[in-house]
Amino acid sequence: MTDGGAILEARGVTKVYETRGVETHALNGVDLEIGEGEFTALSGPSGSGKTTLLNLFGALDEPTRGEIHLDGESLAHLGAAALSDLRLRKLGFVFQAYNLIPVLSAIENIEFVMVLQGVSAGKRRARAEDLLREVDLEGLGGKRPLEMSGGQQQRVAVARAIASHPRIVLADEPTANLDSETAARLLDLMERLNADRGVTFLFSTHDPLVMDRARRNVRLKDGRVVADEAKTAA
Amino acid sequence: MILRMAWRNAWRNPRRTGILVVAVAVGIAGTLLTMALNYGMIFQMVETAIATELGHLQVHARGFDANPELAVRLSDGGRRELSKLEALDGVRAVARRVRGEGLLSSPRASAGVRVIGIEPEREARITRIADSITAGSYLDGVGRRALVGEELAARLEVGVGDKVVLSVQDLSGELTGEALRIGGLFVTPSRQLDASTVYLRLDDGQSLLGLGESVSEIVALADRRSRVPALRDHLAADLGDAAEVRSWEELQPVLVYLIEVFDQSAFIVYGAVFVAMAFGIANVLLMTVYERTREIGILRAIGLGRRQLVGAIVLESLLVTIVGLGLGFVAAIGGVAWLGDGLDLSYFAEGLGKYGVASRIVPVLRTGDFTAPVGVAVVTAVLASTWPAWRAVRLRPADAVRKS
Repeated sequence: MTDGGAILEARGVTKVYETRGVETHALNGVDLEIGEGEFTALSGPSGSGKTTLLNLFGALDEPTRGEIHLDGESLAHLGAAALSDLRLRKLGFVFQAYNLIPVLSAIENIEFVMVLQGVSAGKRRARAEDLLREVDLEGLGGKRPLEMSGGQQQRVAVARAIASHPRIVLADEPTANLDSETAARLLDLMERLNADRGVTFLFSTHDPLVMDRARRNVRLKDGRVVADEAKTAA
Repeated sequence: MILRMAWRNAWRNPRRTGILVVAVAVGIAGTLLTMALNYGMIFQMVETAIATELGHLQVHARGFDANPELAVRLSDGGRRELSKLEALDGVRAVARRVRGEGLLSSPRASAGVRVIGIEPEREARITRIADSITAGSYLDGVGRRALVGEELAARLEVGVGDKVVLSVQDLSGELTGEALRIGGLFVTPSRQLDASTVYLRLDDGQSLLGLGESVSEIVALADRRSRVPALRDHLAADLGDAAEVRSWEELQPVLVYLIEVFDQSAFIVYGAVFVAMAFGIANVLLMTVYERTREIGILRAIGLGRRQLVGAIVLESLLVTIVGLGLGFVAAIGGVAWLGDGLDLSYFAEGLGKYGVASRIVPVLRTGDFTAPVGVAVVTAVLASTWPAWRAVRLRPADAVRKS
């Protein structure tokens, strides 16, 4: 089911939320592998567990039972600092909306992760400019997020997500707030990055456009994987 | 980049941050101005004490401090001590004096007085009595002239040219007296001096008190107050056991004590101001953390560590405080410049005069006065931001990124 070796792996993952004594099973024993170079969509109705699974893969949350492995290493015993470092070095994130830090310009948003990685000012500025060019936003680096359209903001978010050379980019409903034309252009960009640079993408989505473009569709329902289909190359 | 982000974040809500900055600035400026006026008053007391009587250094015969009697005197006119003082580098002026106590009587009243015999020309280079003459003239070559304060003259109902009788107990214990004419009247910031001191020429004083050539003390003025301790130590070693050398601080320890009390009370005032400020900062930062929960979640998701997050929040608090502090300093310096001619407190002149303070107080800001608030402000800013920072790092990234 994977293009290369497994980057992410969920083994018997269960996530239970408890609110005022009431337990909600968001995930029920999910087993799933995401391989290198994949362009995979997690889909399913609201409450099926897509975002929960994405958060667990992104080390933003911990499973109640089961384990998440990143590059073969279990995340179960890592402390907060190690998880932060892991997110910084191995994972990229694109969220649904309001992805960017509003007080930083587009180029500063892209540079920010490289600042955290300790990349020198000259190198990070050069790389941020390259990335802006790559996402077709050359010349807009000085603009603040509020001065940009939703599509442009998502492109900056994609550039930021790949700025740190992550092993995988996790995108939570990246097209949810975009019109279909803008969403299509954003998917074109991510497909190109996947094809040309080998960037691995994992989406949570209920957008048919994303499911249509994904080469692998994992369908969740009631916290379980109910379908896992890979498209054959045309 | 984190500094830039913290600075821009601090000004995302300019009105809220502006109010906080103004509150810090007003607190700082108010405290500094109050302290500047307090120090101005104390330094004026010190200056008045030095300029009207103490000088910077005084030399007496051994035992004078414990028993300031006529018998404890510098023999041979204090020439040995005088020559050593005059030879010292850093001593600007030196004068000899005799001291005693007596009763000054006019036809209408009498008053107990301190009798001070001075060398007019030398004394004029040390104290401001010569510049404080309001009627008549300063002591000159004419003998049997007395200078009295206007207040004393009013009590005795005498004026310039009037005759008074000064009665004293001389060195041998005999009661003796001398008829003098009022040569001049003076007004100084020291009410005590104006109300109870009679100045005579040195030779008149020696004669009246039966001291022969002896003097009670030698007073000296240094070219800088900071040199006084070194001069004092050097002179004390040089003169040996025969004489006592004391600085103005030893002669009037209460003035030193007052300065120390004000230094310590400054910290209490700063503490009170900054505790109030801390609640303001903490409140603003808590609101900030609440409003930016999603942003904090995204920052955590892309790899910002807990320590870095705490650092960013503390930095924001520090930046706001530093801006407030800077504005407060500017306002305080402006206030001091505006009050450069002094704050007119003539309504309280009588009360202030009892403590040697003039009715116009010039505020004094020293470089060191800025360091204490900076230190207290930095500590306050850090402490005030710990609670909001703690709230921020406790946010679970998965929950925070979902917050709309």
